[in-house]
Amino acid sequence: MAAAVVERAWRPSTPDAVERDLAALWRDLSQHGAIARAVMSNLVVFRLRERRSSARRGPTRLEGRDGPERQDGAGDSLDDLIDRVVARHPSRTIVIEHDRGDYDPGQPMGADVGVSVFGRPSAKYAIEWIVVRSACADASLPSIVRRFVRGDVPTSVWWTEDVSCVPLRLALVETGRQLLYDSRRWRNLPAGIRAVAPLLTSARVDVADLNWPRLAHLRLALVHASASVPSGIAAGDTQITYRPGEEPLAWLLAGWLAARLGWSPKKWPTMNEGRDDDDVLSLQMGGDAGVLTVTLDDHRVRLEQPGAPPLVAAVPRPADAEAIAAQLRARSTETALRDALTWLSKRIASPG
Amino acid sequence: MTSLATLSEQLAAGESRSIVTEPVTLVIFGGGGDLAHRKLLPALYNLHLDGLLPPRVAIVGVGRSAITDEAYRAFAKDGISRFSRRPVDERGWQTFAASIFFATATIDEDNHGFASLGARLDVIEHERGLTGNRVYYLAIPPTLIAPTVNQLDRARFLPRAVTRVDHPLPFARLIVEKPIGRDLESARAINDAVARVFDERQIYRIDHYLGKETVQNILVLRFANSIFEPLLNQKYVDHVQITVAEEEGVGTRAGYYEEAGALRDMVQNHILQLLSLMALEPPRSLDADVVRDEKLEVLLSLRPIDGDAVDANVVRGQYGAGFQVGKPVRGYREEEKVKPDSRTETFVAMQAFIDNWRWAGVPFFLRTGKRLPKRASEISIHLKAVPPILFNRPPDGHLDPNVLSIRIQPDEGFALGISSKIPGPRVRIYPVQMDFHYGSTFGASSPEAYERLLLDVMAGDATLFMRRDAVEAAWRWVMPILNRWEASTDPIPTYPAGTWGPAEADRLIQSTGREWRPL
Repeated sequence: MAAAVVERAWRPSTPDAVERDLAALWRDLSQHGAIARAVMSNLVVFRLRERRSSARRGPTRLEGRDGPERQDGAGDSLDDLIDRVVARHPSRTIVIEHDRGDYDPGQPMGADVGVSVFGRPSAKYAIEWIVVRSACADASLPSIVRRFVRGDVPTSVWWTEDVSCVPLRLALVETGRQLLYDSRRWRNLPAGIRAVAPLLTSARVDVADLNWPRLAHLRLALVHASASVPSGIAAGDTQITYRPGEEPLAWLLAGWLAARLGWSPKKWPTMNEGRDDDDVLSLQMGGDAGVLTVTLDDHRVRLEQPGAPPLVAAVPRPADAEAIAAQLRARSTETALRDALTWLSKRIASPG
Repeated sequence: MTSLATLSEQLAAGESRSIVTEPVTLVIFGGGGDLAHRKLLPALYNLHLDGLLPPRVAIVGVGRSAITDEAYRAFAKDGISRFSRRPVDERGWQTFAASIFFATATIDEDNHGFASLGARLDVIEHERGLTGNRVYYLAIPPTLIAPTVNQLDRARFLPRAVTRVDHPLPFARLIVEKPIGRDLESARAINDAVARVFDERQIYRIDHYLGKETVQNILVLRFANSIFEPLLNQKYVDHVQITVAEEEGVGTRAGYYEEAGALRDMVQNHILQLLSLMALEPPRSLDADVVRDEKLEVLLSLRPIDGDAVDANVVRGQYGAGFQVGKPVRGYREEEKVKPDSRTETFVAMQAFIDNWRWAGVPFFLRTGKRLPKRASEISIHLKAVPPILFNRPPDGHLDPNVLSIRIQPDEGFALGISSKIPGPRVRIYPVQMDFHYGSTFGASSPEAYERLLLDVMAGDATLFMRRDAVEAAWRWVMPILNRWEASTDPIPTYPAGTWGPAEADRLIQSTGREWRPL
């Protein structure tokens, strides 16, 4: 289990004074004993900062050393989640709270810096936070990231907004080597696919959908069980039923099957929204006779096929933070995801 | 065993060389200028707080303005409150302020301007019990160096002594700020002018980079640890990168910068000094001239870059409009006091080779520029990749080669990048850092470079200062590049402010199969 935050030090800063203020925080903290500065990557977290008509408040800023002054309901949980992520994968955390308002070159930006300390008293380690409130042109966002990242470790950009509604700022995303997003949040699936499509041919940026690993055990079970199944199952012989809210996962599954089985983008399996019960997804392949039936729920995957005993495998349920940390640790392209998304992007671009 | 003549010498025996006990008068020409305000006076104040200034000391600012000692103390206090690494402590300030004075003097062809200065210094030294040991700091434009030195000589300011060990006379030392000339010829002219009055051992040519804690640590890192030095040669090192990145634009220095450019302003001095420290052979001792001999050897071993080789190995650039931490900023040619058709380079990237046994064939990639994304200076030593077998076998395996990086500013320290297995049942490898930070390790802010350098001058230690032959060797190496550019009418590549330079710089290193290390 990852360590919990044992101490925090925060101070308001300005974009120009970030490094100086961080250095001062480190000096202050080191007065109380040795603390290892842990950094395995840069984690750039993008989120929108809604305009407030009056009394502009800080971002979930933490004052003093006793922890955050919770001011923003949505932000609280994200800050906590980030803490849990970086406890597992220590990262220099750069939060960009971007104001979606019109560009105003005269508007000043604000910043806060912080250090979160983890670990036992005899083995403390800490990570750095930099929170920048931006109200500037989208084109200028990379200049913020370039200024604050540590170049000697990999950089991941975590898009916490719904990609299908808040367009990716590609120039910002391309400052990292990995884009993290969660397709569970997509309200408009075709728009989400279109948003990430430009990155699918990029040799520089790996896409990492936090929803994708949930299919891992289902895909593994299918690969394991289908050795005796004749090839050539058509899209028309495939049916996917998904729990309300799980349509993005169903699309990913369809995209992966289509890419692997060579379906034409014009062909699409039958997709139905099922009941709000335990089953996340149910896949039936092989027409009415049903060659294969795979069901995924929150705890296990169950595969049935004629003439063979059912295959039941447990599905681990990592905490959100662990799932994100696992993606940050990934160092290579997830080819299967890329292929699935590539097929899906062709599909939505293809009439019919 | 050497006999010690005085009680003071007996008591000082065994003390560190950096402990200065001899009384000294520090005379700062250009005492009312920006350097004194931002750097020198705050540095002296911090030395005072640390108890490192001699017990008897006077700091005399010299300038054309007729201002009182009190007004100069207020000027000093303002600079300290704004630029010192430590805030003003009133008790400390009071004792420090008592040692600060101002004298008015003009540099002219007759001796009158300095005659009154001499009288003023005599009075201050008499009242404070000083013995006439003087350090003259020339914080003035290069064009005034020769006239000032000549006037010091004509006004009989110099006792012509090097050290008290050699002569029972007070010492006189001269500190010269860079830039020393704008080409080899003018550098020689300045050095000749200074040499007519001062012995080389009395001259301290300052490159403030050499006073930075991490720069001093380069020699410690290399020669106090058995792990690194055996690796630092052509057998194990793939290449070395030295980057000195500035975030600021040309600012108020446009007048100077238009005549200088990045090659003169940064490469000829700071970067070549870093390179020589990084590449030198083990000196037989830490005596100033022994270390400086080894640094000179490196500069003399640099492969000349001239003719077509300039175009193949050196890229220049000029910043255009862009963004800096989210804010729009102007391009260089739109800056005040910059010509709209200026051909001054604000960025240089180059590939250099040191043709000696240790470094044969190892490229040194040097890079500096203004309006880059951040202020950062670093030396990174990229070791050769492990063979493409086992964990580094394509297509799945791609290991980052080990990199030893020395961060000079900000966040001084060093790091070693190594590949490590991610815990778990599968073999997955992730690059991790063994990282050392001065700030969080020693829990105190490092002294500013000028603190160390001023202390060294007072102590008579010239190790961190540039010797004439090294300065001229550095100029000799960059001159063919400057001459080639002077003759060229090719457009100068531009780069948006807030980026890492022009695409040509990327192509320069990519053509060798390598990449600039992100900072």
